[in-house]
Amino acid sequence: MARMPTPAPHRTDEPPSRADSMLLLRDLVEGSLDDGYARAAARREAGEPAGRGSVWVLAVGLLAVGLLLATAFAQTRDRAGSVAQARDALVAEVQQRADDNEAAQRRLDRQRASVQRAQRQALTLTGEGARLAARLDELEAATGAVAVNGPGMVVRLDDASDSGGLADGADVDPRTKTADQGRVTDRDLQTVVNEIWAAGAEAVAVNGQRLTALSAIRSAGEAVLVDFRPLAPPYVVEALGDPDRLRATFVGGFGGSYLQVLKGYGITSTVADDGSLDLAASVGVALRYAVPPAVPGAAGGSDQSKDGSVSRGKN
Amino acid sequence: MIAALGLVLGIVAGLFLEPTVPTWVQPYLPIAVVAALDAVFGGVRALLDGIFDDRVFVVSFVSNVTVAALIVYLGDQLGVGTQLSTGVVVVLGIRIFANSAAIRRQLFKA
Repeated sequence: MARMPTPAPHRTDEPPSRADSMLLLRDLVEGSLDDGYARAAARREAGEPAGRGSVWVLAVGLLAVGLLLATAFAQTRDRAGSVAQARDALVAEVQQRADDNEAAQRRLDRQRASVQRAQRQALTLTGEGARLAARLDELEAATGAVAVNGPGMVVRLDDASDSGGLADGADVDPRTKTADQGRVTDRDLQTVVNEIWAAGAEAVAVNGQRLTALSAIRSAGEAVLVDFRPLAPPYVVEALGDPDRLRATFVGGFGGSYLQVLKGYGITSTVADDGSLDLAASVGVALRYAVPPAVPGAAGGSDQSKDGSVSRGKN
Repeated sequence: MIAALGLVLGIVAGLFLEPTVPTWVQPYLPIAVVAALDAVFGGVRALLDGIFDDRVFVVSFVSNVTVAALIVYLGDQLGVGTQLSTGVVVVLGIRIFANSAAIRRQLFKA
C-alpha cells in the first residue's frame, strides 16, 4: 500500500470539527501526489547522491507503462473485433439456414407435385380409381392439402392507425390499454375466421397462410401467429366460396356485427368480393397415424412405436 | 531521451507484438491501466513541480498496478469484485483528476 494517501503536514492545525467523510475526500484530493516525490526531493536537498543508472530505471519503467497501455488497447480492440465477427458469423449462418430451408421447401413442393401426378395417373387406370380420384380432389381441397382457386370474398383487417405502427410504438407504452385496444388480436382473427367458415367458405387463408382443420391462430407478444408463423398487419382473410351467399351470410351474421364492434376501437375492416382468388396449399399438412401404445418387452410393439415417432417427426 | 525511447518502444511492442494476455489476467487489465495512468499523471505533476524522481516513479507505477489488481482479485475471491473495482476506480479517478488539475495549473497558470 505504498500510495495510501497520508495527511499532509500543513493540515494538522485545521479544526477537527470537519466531518470524517470530507476528511477522506480532502485527503484524496490534496494527497494525490505521492509523498515519495517530496521525500526524494528532501533527500536530494540533504545532499544524498542520486542513484546510479536511474535513467535506465526510468526507461524500463516507461517501457512497462507503454507496454501495458498498448496491450490493453490491443486487447480491447481485438475483443470488439471478435464480438463483431461472432455476430457476423451468426447472421451468415441464419441466412444460410433460411436459404437451405427455402430450398428444401421448394424441393418438397416439387416432389409433392410429382407424387400427385403419379397418383392421378395410377388412379385413372380403372373406373373405381376415377371415382377415388374425384373424391380425393374434393377431400384435398377441403383439407388444404392442395392449392385451390376460384371466386370468393376478401376480408381485410388493420390495426387502428394511432396504435399499430412501429414508429408510434416508441412513444406509446405497449402495456397500456389504450395502445392495445386498437390492435387486431388473435381472438379477433379467430372470430372472423370462424364466422367465415360458418358462412360456408370452402377454403380460407390468412395473409397467404392456408388454414386447415388443425390450424391454430394464436399470439406471441404482440404478433399474431397462424400455424406458428408470425403475421404482420394488415390481415387479409381470403375465403373461397359462392361470393354472394358467403358475403351476405358473413356480413348479415355475427361476423358483420363483430366487425362493427371492432370499428368502435378504431380497427378498420373491409369486406369485398373477388372473382378469382388463388389460395396456396397448406405447408403443415402431414398424415398422422394412431399407434397402439408400446407393449413392454415385445419386439413388434417397439417397432410400431418407432414408426409412430417417425411419422410424428415429419409434422 | 532514453526514457522517451523506452516509452515508444513499449507502445510499439504492445501494438505490434500483441502479447497474449493469460485469460485469468484479462479482467484485471483495465484496472491496471487506470492505476498506471494514476502513476503517470503523478509523475508528470512531480516533473512540473521539479521534484521528479525516477525511482519513486517506477516503484509507484509497479506497486500501483500490482496493488490495484490484487485488490480487485481479492474482491473477486470474496464475491465483491465489482464493488471493490468501483472503489479502486473512484479513488484513482479522483487522484488522476486532482493531479491533472495541478498539471493544468502549472502549465497554463490558471
